[in-house]
Amino acid sequence: MDNREVLVDIKNLRTFFYTEDGVVPAVDGIDLTIHRGEVVGLVGESGCGKSVTALSIIRLIPNPPGKIIGGEIFFHGEDLLKKHEEDMRMIRGDKISMIFQEPMTSLNPVYTIGDQISEAITLHQKIDDVEAKKRTIEMLHLVGIPEPERRFSQYPHEMSGGMRQRVMIAMALSSNPDLLISDEATTALDVTIQAQILDLMRGLQKKLGMAILIITHNLAVVAEMAETIAIAYAGKIVENASAKEIFKSPRHPYTYGLLQSIPKFTEKKTNEPLPAIEGMVPSPYHMPKGCRFNPRCPFATEKCREEEPEIVELTPGHLVRCFHPIEP
Amino acid sequence: MRDYIIRRVLGMIPLILIVMIVSFGIFSLVPNPFAALMENPRIKKADIQRLIKAWGFDLPWHLRFFKWFSGVIRGDWGPSLLYPGSLARDIISRALPVTVRVMGIEFLVSLAIALPIGIISAVKQYSMTDYVVTVISFLGMSMPTFWFGLLMMMLFSVILKRPSGMPLLPAGGIITPGLEEAPFWAKLGDRAQYLVMPVLVLAFSSVGSWARYMRSSMLEVIRQDYIRTARAKGVSERRVVNKHALRNAMIPIVTLVALSMPGIVGGAAITETIFNIPGMGRLIIAAEIKADYPTAMIGLMLISILVIAFNLVADIVYAWVDPRIKYS
Amino acid sequence: MAEKVIETKKKGQRKSSDDYTYLGMVFHRLTRHKLAMVGAFMLIFILLFVFAGPLIWRADPNQQIEGLDGMFNVPSRAHPLGTDDYGRDVLARMFFGGRISLFIGFISAISATLVGALVGLVAGYYGGWADDLLMRFTDAMLSIPTFPLLIALASVLGKGVWQIILVIVIFGWMVDARLVRGLVLSLKEQEYVEAAHAIGASANRIMWRHLFPNTLAVLIVSTTIGIGGAIIYEASISFLGFGVQAPFASWGNMLQNAQQFIWNSPRLIIYPGLAIFMTVLGFNFFGDGLRDAIDPKLKL
Repeated sequence: MDNREVLVDIKNLRTFFYTEDGVVPAVDGIDLTIHRGEVVGLVGESGCGKSVTALSIIRLIPNPPGKIIGGEIFFHGEDLLKKHEEDMRMIRGDKISMIFQEPMTSLNPVYTIGDQISEAITLHQKIDDVEAKKRTIEMLHLVGIPEPERRFSQYPHEMSGGMRQRVMIAMALSSNPDLLISDEATTALDVTIQAQILDLMRGLQKKLGMAILIITHNLAVVAEMAETIAIAYAGKIVENASAKEIFKSPRHPYTYGLLQSIPKFTEKKTNEPLPAIEGMVPSPYHMPKGCRFNPRCPFATEKCREEEPEIVELTPGHLVRCFHPIEP
Repeated sequence: MRDYIIRRVLGMIPLILIVMIVSFGIFSLVPNPFAALMENPRIKKADIQRLIKAWGFDLPWHLRFFKWFSGVIRGDWGPSLLYPGSLARDIISRALPVTVRVMGIEFLVSLAIALPIGIISAVKQYSMTDYVVTVISFLGMSMPTFWFGLLMMMLFSVILKRPSGMPLLPAGGIITPGLEEAPFWAKLGDRAQYLVMPVLVLAFSSVGSWARYMRSSMLEVIRQDYIRTARAKGVSERRVVNKHALRNAMIPIVTLVALSMPGIVGGAAITETIFNIPGMGRLIIAAEIKADYPTAMIGLMLISILVIAFNLVADIVYAWVDPRIKYS
Repeated sequence: MAEKVIETKKKGQRKSSDDYTYLGMVFHRLTRHKLAMVGAFMLIFILLFVFAGPLIWRADPNQQIEGLDGMFNVPSRAHPLGTDDYGRDVLARMFFGGRISLFIGFISAISATLVGALVGLVAGYYGGWADDLLMRFTDAMLSIPTFPLLIALASVLGKGVWQIILVIVIFGWMVDARLVRGLVLSLKEQEYVEAAHAIGASANRIMWRHLFPNTLAVLIVSTTIGIGGAIIYEASISFLGFGVQAPFASWGNMLQNAQQFIWNSPRLIIYPGLAIFMTVLGFNFFGDGLRDAIDPKLKL
């Protein structure tokens, strides 16, 4: 059991999108807990609701068409969903920061990167511009950008993708937040740069001690970084356990399928095709009845097609949403 | 940057040449430009002969073009046929400031109204305000200006009258006869009443288009990732709009403004005709109708050159305002 | 194992985007766009007015009534919109004038679009010096202020319906040329063009069979909005005395005629102007809705 203080406690979060073509239940009952200093991975295919969960935490869901219609998000004991917008603004960038997937477009092209980082600093800390500039240069140095004084007055387009992502990280960590949310932050980068950025994040986590919520579809990323992993499917969490458990003994058929589909170098060469999970992620407008994974599940029974399973704690710390979890 | 400018300036030259050739070419299509003159009993045959020689009509067309071209460059724009005895140059230099005054005021008024409502319309997309602005924009853009002008005249000059029985606003002209020598302030007040209707008519359609441009530019920008980043940093919505979004949205607008500047000189021919404003637009049309081709050609050419020149200005402004181009 | 996505739709529930074809989707979005539907209704009304009108109200638009009694009649049973300065029935003139104005607008807009599309296709596809040359020419034409030159050309070519159409086309093709060229440049990079090349398709075939259909959507929108513009041009040219000549009516020359009578019969100004206004508005509303329906995210 984790002795650390609970930082974020998401209970039964439901965020729906009301579009012209129908209602999309992007997040439909997600529970997630993040402890102080913990690195949690949130894994799933596109469209499973992981990014929406992140945006819901800091309440940046675009209001038409999205809406958080239920649940609670406790941060330091207070429900964020009940807070005023002005209070949320103080939290964003200060106590909870978020970095996004596309470094090429996530920075404002008409302002220097120094300006943009300093803005984050002066917004939340009572220091003057000169101090802010100093702090910014420190941050640039911290994230491994060479010649930070020169880079301060550069524009985003003068930097590579990897560097821009470092700038984003500098901006996000400038006020020493309690939680950093990384939404597919390495997905759009080259593999080698990806590795660099992940190393950077790991190092910073050790140094600054913040909790990180890593959102990704890439199991390899969380294998390196996360202590705890939550697997999301079609708007719900289907499995939640320590990283070790997930990789050693996955209990949910979906998790099992994901792990099977990763090519492994150590196994003996076979002539069999790489196993893939059959079927496709269900359309948000046409969710299957019963367990949402049942159309693709090799172990589905009649019960799975009729009723939705609840989350069950199979072993301490290992949660699964399935009627027939796989035996370890 | 300097190379860019030099290249563009050089590129202008062939354009200007083409324009001059096309202008000249169209008027050369007229079989006998002096037909109208010959019928006028007040003009002596000898004078007509002189004109023919001066204009090179006794020469084949390519030589004629060169003769005209060299004359134009030297500042000899030929005689005016509309106002026999005067030089085209004088006529044009008297008409030009009138148009610039009317169009200049209309330009500023339109922008001052259109840009803010375009911004508000974008920020509050789909709201009632947005809807109203959109409908009004369409009304403005679809309204035939001459009809609107006539309607305004009906309203303000025929229907609405001052206590003295005079029309509320004068139906035409730019100054009350007799007041040409009046002191500045008296003249100003007098001039203003003549300007109200034409400016109103012209501004109504311009405001429509500008508001739409501003709105769509703003909408485009607000959708961008860097705006989401700004919000995630904790920037207030107001600042997001005024600092982060606006600066980016204005870039295309600024170039559009530069490109519209020539319109200030070209004037709105029909509006000037209806309201009897002795400006460039009316002059050129009148010249064409009355077969005063020298004046018409020069007028046309002037405006075209301004268009080309402002195209260049627009490009330079764009390069200067967008750091992505300035520093690359 | 077969995919069994059980339909959770109940009877009467709205369909979602999975259930439509491309055209179906466009139509669906279009019918829900309020302004577009308003525009469509306006256009249908005007078309009916102009084409079916004379079947209901039979009067000769050119028949003059002699004498002062016939002039400037107030609307009455005999003449629902009154009479003009020659004693002609205004309603009938509105019908036939509308037909001419619409005809001119329609033909010139389509022609201008086709010419522009051709130029844009060639310039975009071949690139190189052809592109340079064509675009320089396009830029030059765009630099010349349209209106004065319109009049110049009109005065040179003479007065009449076909002359106007020609003039409008000469000054209207540039916008579409630029549009199509830009589109072709981006389409050219896509894989299906490379694939067509690889199987040996000729330039012609690629241009017409692959690139052109993809520009159609944009061109249709451009034409729709162009009709509005063309009608205003026609009205402006006729307003200045060129274009459609008496005794034939067009909405433009009716306005021009009415100008001098602003003091004694202002209603003569209102009818044709209103008709032009509504028609252009209708095309603009509809065209805008069409643009949104074809691709809601497209910035044209």
